[in-house]
Amino acid sequence: MMLLPCPWCGPRNASEFRYVGETGPRPDPTTATPEQWRRHLYFHANPRGWVRESWYHRAGCRRYFAAERHTATNEVRSSGGHS
Amino acid sequence: MSDADRSADGPTVTIARSPIAAPEPLVPHRGWEVSGRRSAAALTITDLTPLAKVAVRAPMDGAVQRALGAPFGRAARDGAPALDGTLVVGSGPGEWLVLAPVGTAGEVREQLAGIVTEAGEFGTVVDLTHGRALLRLRGEASADLLAKVCAVDLSDAVTPDGAAFRSSVANLVTDVVRDDAGGVRSYLLHCERSSGQYLAAALLDAGAEFGIDVDGFRDPGI
Amino acid sequence: MTQGSTATATGAAMRLGPQPGEVIDRNRTIEFRWNGRAYQAHPGDTIISALAAAGERVFSRSYKYHRPRGLLTADFLDPGCQLQVGDEPNVRAAHRLVEAGMDVRSQNTWPSLKFDVKAVNGLAGRFLATGFYYKTFIKPERLWPAYERVLRKFVHAGEVSPDTEHGYYDKRYAHPDVLVTGGGPAGMAAAVAAARAGARVLLVEEEHHLGGHLRWGDDTARAVRAELAEQVRSEPGIEVLTDSVVVGRYDDNWIGVMQRNLPHVVERLVKVRAKSLVVAPGLVERPYVFTGNDLPGVMLSTAARRLINLYAVKPGERAVVLSANPEGDAAVADLQRAGVEIAAVADARRGQRVVRARGRGGVQSVELADGSRIDCDLLVTAVGWTAPTSLLNMAGARPVYRPEVARFVPDPAHTPDGVLAVGGIAGDGTLDQLREHADAVGREAARRAAQLAHRLHGALPTRPRDAAPQPAPVTDPVPIPELPLAEHPELFFSTHGFVDFSEDVSSKDLVTAVKEGYDSVELVKRYTTATMGPAQGKLETVNTVAIVAAATGRSIAETGTTTWRPMYAPVTLGALAGRSFEPIRHSPMQPWHERHGATPLVAGQWIRPEHYGDPAAEVRTVRSGVGIIDVTPIGKLDLRGPDVAKLLNLLYVNKWSKLDIGRVRYGVMCADDGVVLDDGVTGRLGDDHYLMSTTSSGAATVWEWVENWLQTEHPDWQVHVTPVTTAYASINVAGPRSRELLGRLTEGVDLRPEAFGYMNVRTGTVAGVQDCVLWRIGFTGELSYEIHLPASYGLHVWERLIETGADLGVVPFGVEAQRILRLEKGHFIVGQDTDGLTQGYTAGLGSLIKLDKADFVGKPELAWQAERGGYPQLVGLLPVDGDVVPPEASQIITGGGHIAGRITSSRMSPTLGRAICLGQVDSGLAEAGTRVTVRLPDGRDVEAVITAHHAQVDPEGERQRV
Repeated sequence: MMLLPCPWCGPRNASEFRYVGETGPRPDPTTATPEQWRRHLYFHANPRGWVRESWYHRAGCRRYFAAERHTATNEVRSSGGHS
Repeated sequence: MSDADRSADGPTVTIARSPIAAPEPLVPHRGWEVSGRRSAAALTITDLTPLAKVAVRAPMDGAVQRALGAPFGRAARDGAPALDGTLVVGSGPGEWLVLAPVGTAGEVREQLAGIVTEAGEFGTVVDLTHGRALLRLRGEASADLLAKVCAVDLSDAVTPDGAAFRSSVANLVTDVVRDDAGGVRSYLLHCERSSGQYLAAALLDAGAEFGIDVDGFRDPGI
Repeated sequence: MTQGSTATATGAAMRLGPQPGEVIDRNRTIEFRWNGRAYQAHPGDTIISALAAAGERVFSRSYKYHRPRGLLTADFLDPGCQLQVGDEPNVRAAHRLVEAGMDVRSQNTWPSLKFDVKAVNGLAGRFLATGFYYKTFIKPERLWPAYERVLRKFVHAGEVSPDTEHGYYDKRYAHPDVLVTGGGPAGMAAAVAAARAGARVLLVEEEHHLGGHLRWGDDTARAVRAELAEQVRSEPGIEVLTDSVVVGRYDDNWIGVMQRNLPHVVERLVKVRAKSLVVAPGLVERPYVFTGNDLPGVMLSTAARRLINLYAVKPGERAVVLSANPEGDAAVADLQRAGVEIAAVADARRGQRVVRARGRGGVQSVELADGSRIDCDLLVTAVGWTAPTSLLNMAGARPVYRPEVARFVPDPAHTPDGVLAVGGIAGDGTLDQLREHADAVGREAARRAAQLAHRLHGALPTRPRDAAPQPAPVTDPVPIPELPLAEHPELFFSTHGFVDFSEDVSSKDLVTAVKEGYDSVELVKRYTTATMGPAQGKLETVNTVAIVAAATGRSIAETGTTTWRPMYAPVTLGALAGRSFEPIRHSPMQPWHERHGATPLVAGQWIRPEHYGDPAAEVRTVRSGVGIIDVTPIGKLDLRGPDVAKLLNLLYVNKWSKLDIGRVRYGVMCADDGVVLDDGVTGRLGDDHYLMSTTSSGAATVWEWVENWLQTEHPDWQVHVTPVTTAYASINVAGPRSRELLGRLTEGVDLRPEAFGYMNVRTGTVAGVQDCVLWRIGFTGELSYEIHLPASYGLHVWERLIETGADLGVVPFGVEAQRILRLEKGHFIVGQDTDGLTQGYTAGLGSLIKLDKADFVGKPELAWQAERGGYPQLVGLLPVDGDVVPPEASQIITGGGHIAGRITSSRMSPTLGRAICLGQVDSGLAEAGTRVTVRLPDGRDVEAVITAHHAQVDPEGERQRV
C-alpha cells in the first residue's frame, strides 16, 4: 500500500484517504452546455504519467487536498491546498 | 413537572451513562454512572467518557490557537489561565478538543467562547461531551497494544509524548493523544460515542496478551 | 515417556550419535502419532526429522500420479512433506517442530500411502495429460458433480473439518528503519551493522534459528554463526522474528510478514512499513531433472546435510552423490562421517551425469551417463542454486541470467533506493567477503533510512514545535564492495523427469506444451501449472525455463523467467482475514432494546430494533395512540456561522434564505448530475446556528459532501460544520396522543398547537434533561415530535417516556413499523425508492426544485431534465388484488413484455388492510388511474393501478398538523 503525503498530517497509508478524482475547474453552471457539463462530470484523462487529483483524508484531518501523482510509479511530487 | 417525574426523595434524578458497559461496582459520580473498580494491573483501560469535551474551531495559527496553547498535532496543559485543569488537544487544522473535569462543560464552553470573542476571529465552540467516547490506556505495553490496531508509527520520533493524531484504530476513525502520566506511557483515545463499546472491546481483545485490565473512573481522570 | 510403544523398537533406527550442531534436546523424548502409530521424537525435531530418524522414507503420494514421495529439501519448501496435523491441513512437516501428542497423518493418500502406484497410474494417466485442466472435464456439463468427486480425490490438499474451531489470527503493525529478510550470515551482519548505525532493525528468519547454512557447516562456520548470533542478541535496536517469513513487498516498502511461533495466536500478520529493505534470503538449492528423480531417497545435498548436522539423522545406508560444487563435496564428507557408505561420487564438473534412478517405493539403484549402474538407497544431488529474487522483483527489479554462474543475479541499477540485497542472492565469495559486503550494505541501508526519516518526519505536526531539529543525515553513500560471482556449470536436466514435484509436472509435459504451440514460458507455466504449486517456483522456475529454452532452441536469458508475485510463501486465509475489525454502532437505548426482545436489524454499521414482535400492531398503535421509536442513527450536522444560509441554498434544491429562527424545513440535495443524493429537515436554532438532519445511511456522505463544497469551492464562507449524529440520542414520539405524553415530561416548551405548530423547532428540558431539541415533524404522517437529547441521557429519557406513557398505552416501535407508516404516507426513501440514476423530477420533486435560484448543485442537469421531459416518475400504486404484495424490485412490464418500471417499496398496510406500493414507471404510465402489469418473481403477472398521490393514508396531511 502506498503512502500518501497528507499536507497536514504527513505521510499516511493510502487506505486512510478517499480518492475524489482528477481535479479540474467546475464549469460555470449558468453558461455551460450539456456537452461541457458532462465532459466535466464523466470524462477523465487518466494518463499514464503525472496527474493532478483530489483526495480526502477521511480517517485523518478530514481535509480535501490536491496531489500530483504519477500513475505508473505512485510517486507523489507535491500535495497541498485545495483542489 | 409531573409527580411521575420525581424520585422518592425529591427532585428528578437524571442519570448520564457512557456507551461503554461498566464493570461492577457501579457508583454515581456527578450525575454519571461510572465503574468504581480498581485494578493494579500493569496495563489498564479506563472509560473517561464522563469528562467534559468541548470542540473549538477557529483559524489555524491564529489568536485562538495562541490562547489555547496547542497547535495542530499536539496536546497541551499550559494554555490560557482560564483553561487550568484542562487538556487542550490540537485535533485538526484549526480544530481543538478541550478535555475538562466531569460536569464542567458549561463553564469551559463559556471560557472558550470568551477566548474566541476576544481573539476577534471567526470561531465556534460546540459541547461534544455527549458525542464522544473517551478511553485511556495506561502502561508500558500500551504502545504494543496500539500497534496491533493502528498503523501509525508510535515511536518517539513520530509520536512523542504530547502527540495528537487522528487515524484508523481497529478500523474506526479515532483521535489518539499520547499523554504519558507519571513517566508511564499512556494514550487517550476518543471516537464517536456510538462506537465506544466497539472500540473498548477491540482494545481489550488486542490487550489480552499483555494482561490488560479495566480500571474504573478516578477523579479528575485527566 | 513409555518405552513400550509400538514404534520404540525402530524409533531411532537412523538416529546418529550427538552432532556438534544438532538442535534436538536428547535429554527429553516426546511421543506423537503418524498415521495412527506412536513414534518418538526429541524436542527440536521437525515432524519429518523424527520420522526419518525412525527410518520412514515415504510421507505422501504425489498430486496427479500418486507416486510415493519422500524427503527432497528437508525444509519448509519440501514438496513431499506436506502433512495433516490434527485439524490443520498442508502442514510443512519438514519445518514444523514436532510436539507431544501431535496426530500426524499423510494427505492425498487414496487409497492408502502404501498402495501400489501402478493401479492408480493406470486409472489416472488416461486424463492427466499435459494441460488436462483445459482438455478434460469440460463436457457434458451435467457430469460436473461427478467429475468434482473424482478430482477431489486427486487433490493433494488435506482436509478441513467443518467443525474446526476458528483460530485466533492476529495482526500487528511495525515501523522499523531497516527490515532484513533472512537471518543467515549476511542478514545477521547487515542487521548488526544497521543497528550500530542507529537504525531500528527488524530481522526476519523463516527457520527456527538464526544462522542459515552456517548451521550445518563445519566448526569454523558454527563459530561464526555463534559470534554473529551473539552480536544480534546484544544489539538492543534489533527485533528478531524467527519462524516468520516475508511474504510480499508493495509500494513504499509496505511489507507483509507472517509470524508463526506465537504462544497466544495461530499466526500473526505483521504489516511492516520499512524505510529500507535488505533482502537476504540466501540461495535455494535446485533439484536435478532425470528419470526417477522423485523417488524417495533422492534428495538435495542441503537436505542430507541438514538431516545429519541439525537432527542427527542418517539419510541412508549407501549413497551416490552427484556433485557440481563445494557444498556437494561437503555433503560427501558429512555422509562419510555419519557412517553412510559412499558407493560413488559423480563429479558433474568433470562431465559426469546421473541419468536414471530406479526403485520401487524408493531408490534401489542409480544409472550414470557412462552406463554404469550402482546399487544404493540414497542419491544426493548438488547441481546448483536458484536465487529467490521474489522480493526484488516485487520492487520492480529485473534480475538477469548469467550463464557462467548458472543463476539469475540482481541488477542493482534497476533496484529502487529502498531495497538492497546481501548474501548469496547478491553474489559469492568467502564468508569474510560476504560479511564485509553485508556490513557495508547494512550501514548504507541505515543511512538511506535516516535520510528518508528526515524527509518524512521533518514536518510532522505531532513533533513538538520547539524540539531541536533532527540532525541532518549523512549524505555520502557507504561504499559497497563488489562481490565476486563463482563460476558454476549449468546443470538442469539429463533425461526426462519431474520438474514440479508438487504439481506433478514433468519435463515431458513442458516439451509437449511447447510442441502444442505454447512457446512463451508464461504460457507454458499456466498451461502445465509448473511453478504454480506450493513451492511457488522456488524449486522449479529455473529448471522450467531451461527446459522450455532447450525445447524452443533459445537461450535461458532469451526465454526469461515467469513473474514472481506475492506471496513469497504460502499464507493461510485465516492470517489474511485476521481478526475482523468491523466497527458497529449502538444508540444509548440499545441495552433497553435488547432487554425488551427487539429483533436486531443491521443497517450499515448500526444495530437497530427492527421490531419488538409485531410490527403491524406497532403501526396500529401509532395511528391510534402513541409510540416511540429510537431514531438515533439519523444524521445530524451542527452548522454555525454567518454563511450557513448560503450553504443551504447551494446544496438543497429548494430555497433557504428566509427560514425564521424556530422553524424547520424539508430539503432535498442532488448531486452535480441531478441525481437525488439525500433528504432531511434542517432547523434554525439561532441567528447563525442550524441543525441539519440527513438520512441514517447518508450521514457520512452528506458530511463529506458539505465539507467538500466548503473546503474546495467556497473556502471564504464562514461556516463550521460539526457532526453530532451520536452527540444526540433521537426519539420520535408519534401518534395522536404524543402531545399528551410529551407534555407530562417537558419543561420550558409550550406544546400547544398554536404555540408550537407543524414544522417548528424548540429547545427545552425533557424528563429533567436540559438542552433537548424538539422538532415537530412527521415522517409517520401522525402528530409527532422528534426529540434530540444529549446522548448520555438517552436511556434515561426513553425509560421515562415508557413509564410515563404506560396509561396512554405507549409502545416502542421499530424500523419495520416506521417503514410501513412512511409508505402509507408516501414518503420516499433515498436509495430505496430512488437509485443512482433517479434525477430530481423523477422523484416527484417538481414543486420543491427552484430553478429560479441563481445556482445550486445539480441545477444544470435538473433544468435540462425539466426541459427534456419524458422522464420516469415515482408513483403510488395499489395492486388490484389487495392481498397480493408484489415483492420489492418486481418489474412493471408492458404488453410486449418490455420493462417499463419497477416496484420500489411494498407492504401490507395494517391501516388500510391492503397492499400498497411505490414504484418508478415510464412517463407514459404515470398518470393516475393507469393500469399496469406487475411481474412477480415467480412469473405470475398481477395488475396494479397508479394512484393520484404517493400517500395512501391521509394524502392531505391533516393528521400531522393537529
